[in-house]
Amino acid sequence: MKYYDPQTLAFLLNDVHKLEDLLKKERFAGFDKQSIDLLLDAVKDFSDSSLYPFVKEMDEKPCFFKDGKVIVHDQFGPIFQKAGEMELIGAFMDEKDGGMQLPLLVFNALYFIMEAANNHVTGYLGLTAGAANLIVNFGTEELKKKYVSKMLEMKWGGTMCLTEPQAGSSLSDITSSAKPTDDGTYSIKGQKIFISASDHQFSDNFIHLVLARVDGAPAGTKGVSLFLVPQYRVNADGSLGDYNHVDVVGEFEKLGQRGYCTNHMAFGDSGESIGYLVGEENKGLTYMFQMMNEARIASGRMGTGIASAAYYASLQYAKERPQGRKRQSSGKKDPSEEQTLIINHPDVKRMLLHQKAIVEGSLSLVLECARYVDMQMVSEGEEKNNYHLLTEILTPIAKTYPSEAGKEAVDLGLQVLGGYGYMMDFILQQYLRDIRIISIYEGTTGIQSLDLLGRKVTMMEGAALKLLAGEIESTIKMAMSKNELKSHAMSLGEGAKLIETCLAHLMPHAMKGNHERYLADATIFMDLFSTVVIGWQWLKIGIASLDQDAAFKQSKLHTMDYFYKYEMSRCKGLQKTICDDSEITIKMEAEMF
Amino acid sequence: MKILVCITHVPDTTSRIAFTDGDTKFDKNGVQFIIGPYDDYALARAVELKEQSGGSITVLNVGEAETEPTIRKALAIGADDAIRINAFPEDALFVAKQIAAVAKDGGFDLILMGRESIDFNGGQVHGMVGELLGIPSVSPVMTLDIDGDTAKISREIEGGKEYMELPLPFVAGCQEPIAEWKIPNMRGIMSARTKPLEVKDPTGDAPKTKVSKFELPPAKGDVKLVDPDNMDELVNLLKNEAKVI
Repeated sequence: MKYYDPQTLAFLLNDVHKLEDLLKKERFAGFDKQSIDLLLDAVKDFSDSSLYPFVKEMDEKPCFFKDGKVIVHDQFGPIFQKAGEMELIGAFMDEKDGGMQLPLLVFNALYFIMEAANNHVTGYLGLTAGAANLIVNFGTEELKKKYVSKMLEMKWGGTMCLTEPQAGSSLSDITSSAKPTDDGTYSIKGQKIFISASDHQFSDNFIHLVLARVDGAPAGTKGVSLFLVPQYRVNADGSLGDYNHVDVVGEFEKLGQRGYCTNHMAFGDSGESIGYLVGEENKGLTYMFQMMNEARIASGRMGTGIASAAYYASLQYAKERPQGRKRQSSGKKDPSEEQTLIINHPDVKRMLLHQKAIVEGSLSLVLECARYVDMQMVSEGEEKNNYHLLTEILTPIAKTYPSEAGKEAVDLGLQVLGGYGYMMDFILQQYLRDIRIISIYEGTTGIQSLDLLGRKVTMMEGAALKLLAGEIESTIKMAMSKNELKSHAMSLGEGAKLIETCLAHLMPHAMKGNHERYLADATIFMDLFSTVVIGWQWLKIGIASLDQDAAFKQSKLHTMDYFYKYEMSRCKGLQKTICDDSEITIKMEAEMF
Repeated sequence: MKILVCITHVPDTTSRIAFTDGDTKFDKNGVQFIIGPYDDYALARAVELKEQSGGSITVLNVGEAETEPTIRKALAIGADDAIRINAFPEDALFVAKQIAAVAKDGGFDLILMGRESIDFNGGQVHGMVGELLGIPSVSPVMTLDIDGDTAKISREIEGGKEYMELPLPFVAGCQEPIAEWKIPNMRGIMSARTKPLEVKDPTGDAPKTKVSKFELPPAKGDVKLVDPDNMDELVNLLKNEAKVI
């Protein structure tokens, strides 16, 4: 069973993203390369033995709702226990807060391994880590002391509660309320839907981070505050107290990720739900976006993990399945010849190459983002701000590309198996169902694209965009001196210019106040932008691969050639669509459908 | 309780095996090395015994510098310190002598190792160590419990199991289900960096045996499917082609 390539992961960490440079920073002094290797190895062992063997079963025996409680697959118990023992939950957090100060670059690599092995598991761990980190960063000392350590041990689960039935993605419309009480706490009331990991039989308590409005708060997102609302109240000595009336109303039956529960929650319906303010009133959305941005990169990583597992499953099949014969020079096939393996057919190779290019390019981008966050933590002043801006502009791309292109990759993986790919006996159909949610989680592709074009490329007068262009330019310069990479370096430069052309064309629309036109093709702009960004990652991979052994180098350079020939070549067409002012979508009136 | 756990540094069980230098040397290119799986069981049981009654675990490996990541993993799992005898483990007697030399004055209550390595699969070292030290040696040990100065063990024998009691110290060649393999946690991995790892030169004579050539087993032939109604064809194939009847 292979669901990721350890050699490629190590190469990306060490040779492309220069882990050893990061380990020289004081914050990460607790680790050296050998300990990181051991860690990667340990998580692979954990994934091989406890995660991968149950991925199909978790789909076939999904979680369910019974007597007010969500019941998940039995294996989650030992998995949560082991993940807690291995200290995988908040390993990136500060030591003073119970973490290990593990670089996020490595943390993301570890979670990628687990997600490739079993994408139904890590959401429970990741949400708990994200919630704990939010409490650490914005909560009072009392909240930290009471809640964080149990969460890091995975004894208590953590969630984020944003979406409401009437509001969907529009957080300015949330109506959950928080009424101040005499003792400084708040009485929380409201309904939240699509709340992942918010109940199961293997946690004693769930710590919900809930967005709600304090009575009299301003309208819109400026009146949203963040509250910690435990399922069970916690006594001063840390023991569990009374039920806090956080009810599970139901569990959603889903297309995929059926082992990962997604629930409808009601706060304050059956009695009083006490909430504790996190940070200041009316700043909740700003705080929540720390967790949301982490979750967006994590979603991209999860998409990459699923696509990786699908790639290796289809690759194995292609190497074992004989079908058809190679054409002779006459153009005919000899039926008396033995059948050839399907991996020998060029179109099957194309489908495998496409998957490989997407998986490895996406993984590199996710790790790049993680490295920028690490650098942000260990730098000061302007340098810190620069890494912050780079993370900001790349986050919607790291969320979107692996989820959209990953979907396409898994679809091709299924196609490699032909009819068998559609059968429940093979896992490809499950991966296709599992990955479908990733482009919806944590802000859909449409929302990410609006964020990229409407906010990130223009933020601080284009500062983030300029920084990213500088990073891409420096990779191009490096590649121009290598014969094998020169033509791709030039293509990448052309791709970057196409983005500039689009922005030069679109900006006047925004300046004139025609924001609808400016943003109408934001998703197409995302396609162009993210393809160029992945092209940049492939060029970085190409540069680093030149120092590797012959077979590994050849594999990487050939896949890079594929990406440039088949994917970068799409950029011109996308630019043409974006710059076309016919306003097809805007002018299509509802009644014309 | 003072426990010595001897570990081997062997290719991962999924590795592609190939040879170089006229089939006289193992090709390490692209091969992932691990703690010998049976040794890993021994280490896991040692960690459990230490958790139950305290004491210390020393890990011993006979190997060249490249084995250190494997030794570090054993330290991350729960060993307290390690010794590496700086020599290639050429043959069983050579390895046994190195272990015996360390154990002789070490005051160990237990010497645990796998029932065999998974590279050369000799299964001889535990017996030789027992003989060299003049203490009992048992293998393959499937359960091991300590009660004071006495050990209660069970081991696999032809057609069944044998239950034994014997005094400490002794040598045990271990196999499953003596314990479940342990995966190191992050704190263990971090602390392994600073645990002592002593490198010693080998003692005694150089190894007496030398590998002249390795050979892979012949590739498996194609599978032939025979219609269940065509028993004559099956008999014919078994008799004339496979030549097994």
